[in-house]
Amino acid sequence: MSATASHGGVMMLPSPSRPLQHQRPPTVTGSDMFRVRRKEPRGLRLVVAATAKYKGTKMREEKLSEMIEEKVKEATEVCEADVRSEECKVAWDEVEEVSQARADLRIKLKFLNQDPLESFCQENPETDECRIYED
Amino acid sequence: MAVSTIYSTQALNSTHFLTSSPSSSTSKQVFFYRRHQSQTNRRFNTIITCAAQQTVVIGLAADSGCGKSTFMRRLTSVFGGAAEPPKGGNPDSNTLISDMTTVICLDDYHSLDRTGRKEKGVTALDPRANDFDLMYEQVKALKSGIAVEKPIYNHVTGLLDAPELIQPPKILVIEGLHPMFDERVRELLDFSIYLDISNEVKFAWKIQRDMAERGHSLESIKASIEARKPDFDAFIDPQKQYADAVIEVLPTQLIPDDNEGKVLRVRLIMKEGVKYFSPVYLFDEGSTISWIPCGRKLTCSYPGIKFNYEPDTYFNHEVSVLEMDGQFDRLDELIYVESHLSNLSSKFYGEVTQQMLKHADFPGSNNGTGLFQTIVGLKIRDLYEQLIANKATAPAEAAKA
Repeated sequence: MSATASHGGVMMLPSPSRPLQHQRPPTVTGSDMFRVRRKEPRGLRLVVAATAKYKGTKMREEKLSEMIEEKVKEATEVCEADVRSEECKVAWDEVEEVSQARADLRIKLKFLNQDPLESFCQENPETDECRIYED
Repeated sequence: MAVSTIYSTQALNSTHFLTSSPSSSTSKQVFFYRRHQSQTNRRFNTIITCAAQQTVVIGLAADSGCGKSTFMRRLTSVFGGAAEPPKGGNPDSNTLISDMTTVICLDDYHSLDRTGRKEKGVTALDPRANDFDLMYEQVKALKSGIAVEKPIYNHVTGLLDAPELIQPPKILVIEGLHPMFDERVRELLDFSIYLDISNEVKFAWKIQRDMAERGHSLESIKASIEARKPDFDAFIDPQKQYADAVIEVLPTQLIPDDNEGKVLRVRLIMKEGVKYFSPVYLFDEGSTISWIPCGRKLTCSYPGIKFNYEPDTYFNHEVSVLEMDGQFDRLDELIYVESHLSNLSSKFYGEVTQQMLKHADFPGSNNGTGLFQTIVGLKIRDLYEQLIANKATAPAEAAKA
């Protein structure tokens, strides 16, 4: 795979024998590449399911979902009177805020494997919020 | 520039720590120098490195405030280390900290909490809901190396919580709705980025985001976007004229009538003439190029990949625009594309590809959003290194004089 061009402006990068010098090449190639999590060089990385670890986080998740439902209802009602009123704008903005907060929590748990209560619960494992959530 | 006393000793090739009391009482400065005594009566070479904080400030404007945790992760991972919430603090903190970077969510500068905004009838997008004086003071303080007690806006409760202590980092990223709204804050930014999502893509993304929630339906998602649009257009959108780089996300042109928003056309609009920032280019800087890498050497699956590169003007500024439409399916497509791009500011061949692979499971990893976010990350690293080098040589030159 060598790029050939006669123009002086092209940056000719040397093709090394291994394209990624500092990492082991991925074990999977082909269209699976972007769907399979690459293995770390040392040992296996556990793929944690996208659920909360602590009871407190689970409660936050549920609270946010409830709030979305409530606020959508509220906004629909408020906007029936006047779609361009301030109250209508603010009501839908609240829906957006809570929807985004819900999605952020999901992203944190699913992609980043960070439970927001992680460091708090390490200091205070005996609190109710820090009970390990069991399905 | 602080005035300090320099002491000389008899020791050869040794290093000494000196603490001077600078004229300004706000910053601590440690001078670290090495005196090299030569045989001849040549003047000694003094290398003075100022170890005081040189914080580089980056602004990132995006709708839905601080939800760009995957963009942030890409940016911070270029510098190494994972960005995590502050340990032992408020679990609802929006701040992210890694070795080199601290990311602050500008929602923390809301002057009105959720109840307050409801009472006054303003959305979070409205400048009236934000304390720009405090934002300016604290960003300025952090930039000068002073720690601040920053408020926390809790997105779950909608309240303003007790502040958290933020130490000045090497790189401070302020992300949110209004990083470039206030002129004074704009002046503090060393680099700014605006993430410009088109309406169709926004709609498609919000459907993906919200449809699983039991409260939402297509109608509610649409209504929410429509209701916020006037404030968005009035207050947020105009910031893009100030950005050094705009990442514009549009629906693909490769698939007729595509409305799923899965294949994207992404444009990286880079301002010309920005200090320490050299735009990425394709093949020949300043020319107009249209490039389809898929062909004899590279086979791609449908709908393929198409690149465009051209100079343009954007809000009366000269810009260079690099555009990618389509998506990557395989590792070799990504490397092939990387090997044809110039001015990437990468440190080794394949660095962009490696960074993309590190976060292969993040959304956008197979298209222009992930690619350009990664490239912007490398550009910021390059800018940071140049800024630091520049600030380090200035005091040394002053000492030699």
